[in-house]
Amino acid sequence: MGGRSVKLRTPAPAVAADVSEQLGIATPKFQDLPLQPVVFRKARATVAIGKAAKWEMLVSASVVQSLLGSLAYNSASVLFAQAFGVLCDDELLEIESATQEQVFGQPYVYRLVLRAPLAQMV
Amino acid sequence: MQNAKDTFYTTLQSRLAVLNPARTIVVRGVTRTATLVEENELPSAVVPLNAFCLQWTGLRVNREEPMPMATLECSIQYATDGTTGNGGMDRGRLLAGMDAELASALGAEPQTVEKMNYSPAGTGVAATAMGTNIFWADPVFNAATTVGERLQRTATVQVLAYQEAGEL
Repeated sequence: MGGRSVKLRTPAPAVAADVSEQLGIATPKFQDLPLQPVVFRKARATVAIGKAAKWEMLVSASVVQSLLGSLAYNSASVLFAQAFGVLCDDELLEIESATQEQVFGQPYVYRLVLRAPLAQMV
Repeated sequence: MQNAKDTFYTTLQSRLAVLNPARTIVVRGVTRTATLVEENELPSAVVPLNAFCLQWTGLRVNREEPMPMATLECSIQYATDGTTGNGGMDRGRLLAGMDAELASALGAEPQTVEKMNYSPAGTGVAATAMGTNIFWADPVFNAATTVGERLQRTATVQVLAYQEAGEL
């Protein structure tokens, strides 16, 4: 499954000095940022008994760099760590890990390991 | 019970902020005192370092009293990798510093505070005081564990509160 588009769901910045968010009373708003092109390394998810399905997705570094520039995140690791998940065909997948591959010190692709919702575990 | 949990968290956070104002974390772009309640944050596989992460685990309710008494167990997890510039060799000292801060914050008198209701509170809206107090015992520090370069510990503390009429 290559050359497709997904969305990175990120929460809006927290409200400074607002204890209601820290107590779970207020919830942040979310924004969906397009990630394109992305490639899933396998057409089928990795499935193990008793565990949620996992996907491995590759994202072009140029797309990630453009998001970093427009949203003022200081690194891709912070962007992915703070993201709520990846929206793929209306299914929200949690980001379990994000790593990068480099050439001459410059990242050219990011590899995300995504986990399906626990509710879909069989 | 929720009001007791909220009151305990805000009390612990304010005491820790006084003890070490420099211990902060950045959560969704905002810097705050390095405490969080795990169930109130977005699910994440990332472990916050050099921060106190609260989990509400055990619960007992004694209904033999005229006003039910709830005993909640709070599990406080904290971890450090040490300082990168020091090759992580100071991680024991950093964990000891967090031990001391937590012991001081929870052991300081009084170990009771007026229970507050934060539900109507929003930005700039004050919480309302309730009719009873919450109490807590001295923390119990479990053995430190090592996972790779990470040194971590969990402390547990019993929080007690009367359950007022109509309270969640």
